Amino acid sequence: MTDLVLQALFSGLLVGSVYALVALGLALSFGAMRIINLAHGELVLLAAYCAYVVEGRLGLDPYLAIPLALLVVSAVCAVLFLMIDRIREHRELNSLILTFGVGIILTNAILLIFASDARTTASATLQDATSVGPVYAMNGEVVAFGVSLALMVALWWWLKTSWYGRAVRAVSSNRAAAKLMGISPVRTELVSFLVAGALASFAGVALYTMSVVQPALGHALTVKAFIVTVLAGVGSIPGVFLAAILLGVTEALTVTLASSALQELAGMVLFLLVLFLLPNGLFGARARRG
Amino acid sequence: MLRRTVAAASIALATLAGSAARADEILVGAHMPLTGSLARSGQAFDEGMRVAIQMFNARSDKHKIRLQVIDDESTPAKAVSAVEKLVSDGAVAVVGGYGSNIIGPASDASNRLKTTYITAGAVSDELTVRGLKTFFRINNNAGYQRGIGTLLEALKPTSVSILASTKEAPALLAKGLQKDLSAKGVKVTVHEFDPAITDFKPIINKVKLQDRSDILMMSAYENDYVGIIRAAKVLKPPVKLVVGAWSLATPKMSAEFPDLMNNVVGTSFLPYPVEMKDEEGKRFAEVYKTTYNKEIEYLSTLSFVETTILAEAIARAAEAGTLKAGGLPDAMRQTDRETLLGPVQFDATGDNPRFAVAMGQHRAGKVVLVSPPASATGEIVYPGLPW
Repeated sequence: MTDLVLQALFSGLLVGSVYALVALGLALSFGAMRIINLAHGELVLLAAYCAYVVEGRLGLDPYLAIPLALLVVSAVCAVLFLMIDRIREHRELNSLILTFGVGIILTNAILLIFASDARTTASATLQDATSVGPVYAMNGEVVAFGVSLALMVALWWWLKTSWYGRAVRAVSSNRAAAKLMGISPVRTELVSFLVAGALASFAGVALYTMSVVQPALGHALTVKAFIVTVLAGVGSIPGVFLAAILLGVTEALTVTLASSALQELAGMVLFLLVLFLLPNGLFGARARRG
Repeated sequence: MLRRTVAAASIALATLAGSAARADEILVGAHMPLTGSLARSGQAFDEGMRVAIQMFNARSDKHKIRLQVIDDESTPAKAVSAVEKLVSDGAVAVVGGYGSNIIGPASDASNRLKTTYITAGAVSDELTVRGLKTFFRINNNAGYQRGIGTLLEALKPTSVSILASTKEAPALLAKGLQKDLSAKGVKVTVHEFDPAITDFKPIINKVKLQDRSDILMMSAYENDYVGIIRAAKVLKPPVKLVVGAWSLATPKMSAEFPDLMNNVVGTSFLPYPVEMKDEEGKRFAEVYKTTYNKEIEYLSTLSFVETTILAEAIARAAEAGTLKAGGLPDAMRQTDRETLLGPVQFDATGDNPRFAVAMGQHRAGKVVLVSPPASATGEIVYPGLPW
């Protein structure tokens, strides 16, 4: 039983790190612009398909797809931002509808171009097992964990120390006051959207190297990212990482100790419990109290 | 005025002439999940169906079938709307898409509109107990269960772990297999999993440390197979064989996941490279290859057979002059022929009681039929694992 639980904890940690990677971008655009980008999962998926093109069609290492993914996803993000920026009334609500629609368009574009087949890395190195004591993982999962951790730290550092990072936080706190301080909210929001796109690019490539991708996956990724963002609470980057790990571990333990059929249910119960007990999220509330 | 009258008469004559030219053209509708979560299956179904119509039209002088396909977007509501639209456009029959939860309401709608409905994409037992007079299907859960059960019994395992998606068809198959194998003294452990699951390691670890079964059986779909076998490659449970259900022992899986598929067994109709024994099969393989530039898909074979059977029944009803008088269901019930899937007949519920699948094993890029003995093209490698 100990080995089972240890493997569940380890698997949960690794899966959680990918949830975090997917959620970081959504959390950033939600925190900075108060916009829930319902096309975020599809942006991640777009990056995953860039990795497929680079590996499956060009025969190169899938990690070499990162520049291509950055380029493609950033371009889509910029167009998406320009559309959102044209919304004049009820921005939160209308942007929901807009991004939902863009998500559908992206899913179907991917379907048209790549067909509906499941895709995953063919790299033997990434699929090989690595063990830490009695627990096992794929090399691709370990790399994704490292990337997730590094990006979380980088994003936290960027928000805390860089001019644009501080501008994003200022716009997020009070758009009008930030404008009075000489910050361009539009430019700042564009930057935050592009950074979210960059995070989605890394997430997509990582996802391709450790899991199976197919066109219908985007929506599920958005839902997972949204759950993590709400669990974490707005404005807490380390909170996103910890909330994602908590979700991953909860799901893995549910599979091990109860039934795998209850995995998704367990995640949703956790989500609802946190919403009920801590409406500002696990870490958003704590930050406010602090 | 005269010029206007002549013009109107010309248009009327042209219309009449056009109608006469299309007199033998019969409209058949189809709703397929060409987008959405079932798009992969829907596209494969669409291909087989189109080849069947193309081949029927090529050999039929009197009756030509025109196909109208609507994308049901993998949703039941859209499928119902599609059936209503197709029937209102004049379709004499509807070819159903994929998934019992979609086929159920769509075939209900078709029955309400007194239109024949045929499917090869829904195996739920509940579909044939509704007493619908216009519903037909060529494959069923019992046939899959028989095919897999025959192989497992021949291997005489002491224990089997079944990983089953909670979707209707895989769950039904898992329950049936559990019941059959348990009755024969085999220890069976079922691990149901949510279709959204991506990491199968915690489940495989249970198979490795708790079940310690001889056979790892997957009742699931393509994405799940890849995730499960990958997790099994990492954890290496002490099983002797990995077996799966539909859409696994296919050339496509072999080509796309060569490192995961070797020695894996799944339900199959044809070996690969394809060896067709009859003329119809050879022609199907030829037209399919010419049209789509690839080997025949597993699901395309199913839709090819169902569409061919429907087209032949339509021709019979048209010949008898009963097509427009609701005679198609009776013509369907007259079906009794050998197909690429084996014999097809319809019982009173519209089901094909003679449906049975063979089992194919991946072997270095090929698929060898290993069970039942009558269909086998080679011996099974057992124990045989993909790692």
